[in-house]
Amino acid sequence: MQPESRINRIIHHLQREWQIYVMLLPTIIWFIVFLYKPMYGLQIAFKDYSIFRGVAKSPWIGLEHFEYLFSNDQFIRAVWNTIKISALNLLFGFPAPIILALMFNEVLHATYKKTAQTIVYLPHFISSVIIAGIVITAFSPSVGIVNTVLEWFGIDSIYFLTKPEWFRPIFVGTGIWQEAGFGSIVFLAAIAGVSPSLYESAVVDGANRWQMMWKITIPSILPTIIIMLIIRIGNIMEVSFELIILLYQPATYETADVVNTFVYRQGLQNGQYDFAAAAGLFNALVAFVLVMVANTLSRRYSRTSLW
Amino acid sequence: MSGVQLSQLVKRYGDIEVVKAIDLEVQPHEFVVLVGPSGCGKSTTLRMIAGLEEISAGSVTINDRVVNRVAPKDRDVAMVFQNYALYPHLNVADNIAFGLRIRKTPKDEVDRLVAEVADILGLTDYLKRRPADLSGGQRQRVAMGRAIVRHPMVFLFDEPLSNLDAKLRSQMRAEIKRLHKRLDVTSIYVTHDQVEAMTLADRIVVMNDGLIEQVGTPMDLFLNPANTFVAGFIGSPPMNQFDALVSGSPEAPIAEIGDQRMALPSLPELSERIGSKVTVGIRPEHAQVLTPSEHLVHVQLEIVETLGSEALLHTTLENNPFIIKTETEGYYSKLEEVSAFSVDPAQVKVFDIETGRVFGQSGA
Amino acid sequence: MRKHLLTTAIAATLVSSTSVLADTSDLKIVEGDPLQLTIQMNHARYPVYKEDWPVEQQAREWTNVHLNDVTVGSNMRTDENSGKTEVLNLMLASGEIPDIVGSSRIKDFVNQYGPEGAFLPLNDLIEEHAPNLKKYFDERPEIAAAISAADGKMYYIPYLPDGKYGRAYWIRTDWLNKLGLEVPQTVEEYEKVLRAFKTQDPNGNGEADEVPYFARQWPELIRLVTLWDGRSSGSDTYHDFMVNEGKLEHPYAGEGYREGIKNLARWYDEGLIDAEIFTRGSSARDFLLSENLGGSTHDWFASTSGYNRLSADIEGFEFKAMAPPASVSGKRIEEHRRIPIKPDGWAIGGTNEHPIETIKYFDFWFTEPGRRLANFGVEGMHYDMKDGKAIFKQEFLDQGPVNRSLYQVGSQLQGRGYFQDYGYEIQWSNEFALEGIKLYDEGDYLIDQFLGVAFNQDEQKVYDRFWGSVRDYMLERQQGWILGNGDVEADWDDYTAQLEKKGLGKVLEVMQSAYDRQYGNN
Repeated sequence: MQPESRINRIIHHLQREWQIYVMLLPTIIWFIVFLYKPMYGLQIAFKDYSIFRGVAKSPWIGLEHFEYLFSNDQFIRAVWNTIKISALNLLFGFPAPIILALMFNEVLHATYKKTAQTIVYLPHFISSVIIAGIVITAFSPSVGIVNTVLEWFGIDSIYFLTKPEWFRPIFVGTGIWQEAGFGSIVFLAAIAGVSPSLYESAVVDGANRWQMMWKITIPSILPTIIIMLIIRIGNIMEVSFELIILLYQPATYETADVVNTFVYRQGLQNGQYDFAAAAGLFNALVAFVLVMVANTLSRRYSRTSLW
Repeated sequence: MSGVQLSQLVKRYGDIEVVKAIDLEVQPHEFVVLVGPSGCGKSTTLRMIAGLEEISAGSVTINDRVVNRVAPKDRDVAMVFQNYALYPHLNVADNIAFGLRIRKTPKDEVDRLVAEVADILGLTDYLKRRPADLSGGQRQRVAMGRAIVRHPMVFLFDEPLSNLDAKLRSQMRAEIKRLHKRLDVTSIYVTHDQVEAMTLADRIVVMNDGLIEQVGTPMDLFLNPANTFVAGFIGSPPMNQFDALVSGSPEAPIAEIGDQRMALPSLPELSERIGSKVTVGIRPEHAQVLTPSEHLVHVQLEIVETLGSEALLHTTLENNPFIIKTETEGYYSKLEEVSAFSVDPAQVKVFDIETGRVFGQSGA
Repeated sequence: MRKHLLTTAIAATLVSSTSVLADTSDLKIVEGDPLQLTIQMNHARYPVYKEDWPVEQQAREWTNVHLNDVTVGSNMRTDENSGKTEVLNLMLASGEIPDIVGSSRIKDFVNQYGPEGAFLPLNDLIEEHAPNLKKYFDERPEIAAAISAADGKMYYIPYLPDGKYGRAYWIRTDWLNKLGLEVPQTVEEYEKVLRAFKTQDPNGNGEADEVPYFARQWPELIRLVTLWDGRSSGSDTYHDFMVNEGKLEHPYAGEGYREGIKNLARWYDEGLIDAEIFTRGSSARDFLLSENLGGSTHDWFASTSGYNRLSADIEGFEFKAMAPPASVSGKRIEEHRRIPIKPDGWAIGGTNEHPIETIKYFDFWFTEPGRRLANFGVEGMHYDMKDGKAIFKQEFLDQGPVNRSLYQVGSQLQGRGYFQDYGYEIQWSNEFALEGIKLYDEGDYLIDQFLGVAFNQDEQKVYDRFWGSVRDYMLERQQGWILGNGDVEADWDDYTAQLEKKGLGKVLEVMQSAYDRQYGNN
């Protein structure tokens, strides 16, 4: 009787709550089709994969792809470049939208605020190809605005996009220009969620705007900041590689070549999916470890965590 | 002297006036409650006193100083908010100390004051906790702690108890009352709950639609409402009101409701009203069903609502709803059979049917 | 334009049903009901295959073989330059291989998956059933060798371009006249001319804003190492290997290359080369010529000659091809030429149930009527026969870019294995192009090209493993040297040691073994 009544309970439950499960269904399907099913294909990282033979029939080759990756100093360089670019991104790119959101929050004039917000959101909606075009033009030695300005100060024009030492600042700066505005939305939403009475109370207590920002706004959105930071750390190996492909040159590989572009050049262009999968798996592993560490640290020290 | 004076105080949002030139004088040490339905302007008035809203016209005077242009922090007021306004990232001690630190109070002074306040409010054991780990009542106490730690000249309370459940609310009411006795600071308290107003206030200010309807001690308002609005707002359940025709003589006026007759108090204004209609008000407590009388008014009993020692009889008097509040002890079984009541004419209130103004009293 | 095409399509059916052409009954492959075959076709130049192209209609009528479009991922483009074959991979991953697969960049793909069974080997089929193909391959054995897979079998019929000339050196001859200079004949003279362009203000605007040498593709700068007896590529693909007396070599490891890079770095530093050559991209030619800034380049005959129309806006504008300047040792070389065999073409799917009819169908396009159909479109509709030559109708030439018009009627499809007839292009090449071609024809500057090798599995592995890194390193240093980031002379020993360390030797070894096997050198 016991199991039967449990089944009955489940049936009864489903009859009553089926709408909720129907709503859940698309997400589950999405996960299965786009995330879990492809996991099956991960095994090609350990195989000599041929599309024609398929995943199952391709022979196992163990860690050969990985051995190749780690014996290749360009790959090692790409890993370091990825980490360096991501670290710069984190250092400068992560605080940018927060600062922007705080600044917007202090703007009282509604029309001015709306206009400014629209302007900074816009670059997010421009495709990487056009962004790259803008960057190339802006930094062009003959007609670029940057060099024009430099010349006003009597500085010789610089061919920025072929200088390895300039690639990272330009790339990270472009990323900030493109995404800081849009990224500030989530922080603005968090700020909007702070109870006005906290500010009123602080006003009565005698806090000025600067103190309110530091003592109320920032601590209040800190959980959001930490969650965004953990997500960001999880994506640390995912440098926006379209933009790199569009901006880099052999001359700047030294600083610009990241894991994804390396895999793209070496793997995908020649249809070496197995090799690309191995590099992807390595990327995912690094990202996984980083997220775990960040999450654990955050849970321990700030009581905020993704899970 | 830390009194508060409002004079011709106005708040406008665009073309809409939400506070319409009110005058009010709060004496030092007094506990004044602003009460009224939502949207009556009571919170806005309080926020103008605190300095959180700009004053459109008129003036606020605190401690003999006009503070219209004075920043909130320099008005020497402290405010307790409806949703406590505690900083979730700070523990209880830091929350209480927030205002002091902003004012750069020396550290040992801060510690001393926080400990003192925690002691007063019974929060000593909770100082290291965060707001999220406290109960509603404890949070409310922290919020008050933040206000009193600064020893302000005026306390402002903005519906501080409305987020608590009924039992906690009555407990906290008593605590606030005790606190006021102990600290003896001028307090202005806003609520929409007339019970809270009645229990806490030295004086109650009843507001409606941006205007002050009546100011007075709780019993004064209860016994002598200035108009139908106050009569209907103060008291639980509120005063029964119905329209009636005045007949009889100036010495012995009578109210006619349908076939029913009821003696009215002999008031000078009534003599001119014989033959015309007035609004009659009778407190539920004043309708007697237990003592026999010759002047019975007949009602139709619909529901008996028992509250324990008391019961509410929901009846109709010639199609007007009429509530009678009576004791139950020893009479419970008979309540189902009630069909009439009597009332002492002296306790019957008569209001102008047009203006709602009460007869027999001067002023509002 | 669109409407016009539609009417021609309708006319196509009318004309073909009332055809009064020569007897074509021997072109018929099957009798009775038409044979239905499925086809996948993708090409970088035309995104979709259309069954109702007039050329396809005509071929159906003649052969009685009907191709049905089952293209997976149509509108997706294979990338000509990078060799990406995403669409083909997609098709293969879908599990069903159509009877016929035509695509750009098909060679490496069929040579990899053909031996695994995805495509049919064609040698025996050609031998037995395709007399025209057999004749062609017999006459040009090097072509069969070049397209064969590592197992020695052919898996696709290539698109075979006709005509030799691709790129040439171009120079503003009006600027030369203005400055009183002759067309440069040697690298020294070329340098002087470029310097004069930079310093003597030939565009007359008072600023030294002239860009003496520019290119749409930056490797065309590296091409100039041929002026110092270096090489930049062995084929029409950039950075490719080359064959030197039967030995595989990489041009970027040669002495002449070092010398060339050294001098190009000097030119770059002096401003003789577009400062933005690495980032200016494909619009460089358009921009620099129409702004009256560009002096000289190395680019295609047909499209570059077209810029002489700018003479309408820029007074005296004349941009002419010049013979390759003689190198330091006196050699004149034009390194680029049209490759005789493209890696584009079509193949027979491994599950095709009618291989014989299919190879006969492929063979049809190598018959005289078939080749004409592939090159010129449908007779009477797009061209007429005059003195045994196919001449495009004037209204067809006037429709717009001729190449595009041809794609739109289904001719010159390079996802189809056919033998191009250069006669189709001559008819609409402008005078400057023809003049230039004549110049190059007289000089005989072209050199032999490396036609590629097919690896066996082990060779492929070595190549995949090392070549990418070697190439990256080469290009990195190359750009660095040009930009003045390091000195080629000082770095050379380290550079060659690094190439060796990164596996260039191993790559050359497998290339050599594949080459010897394929071209019968051992």
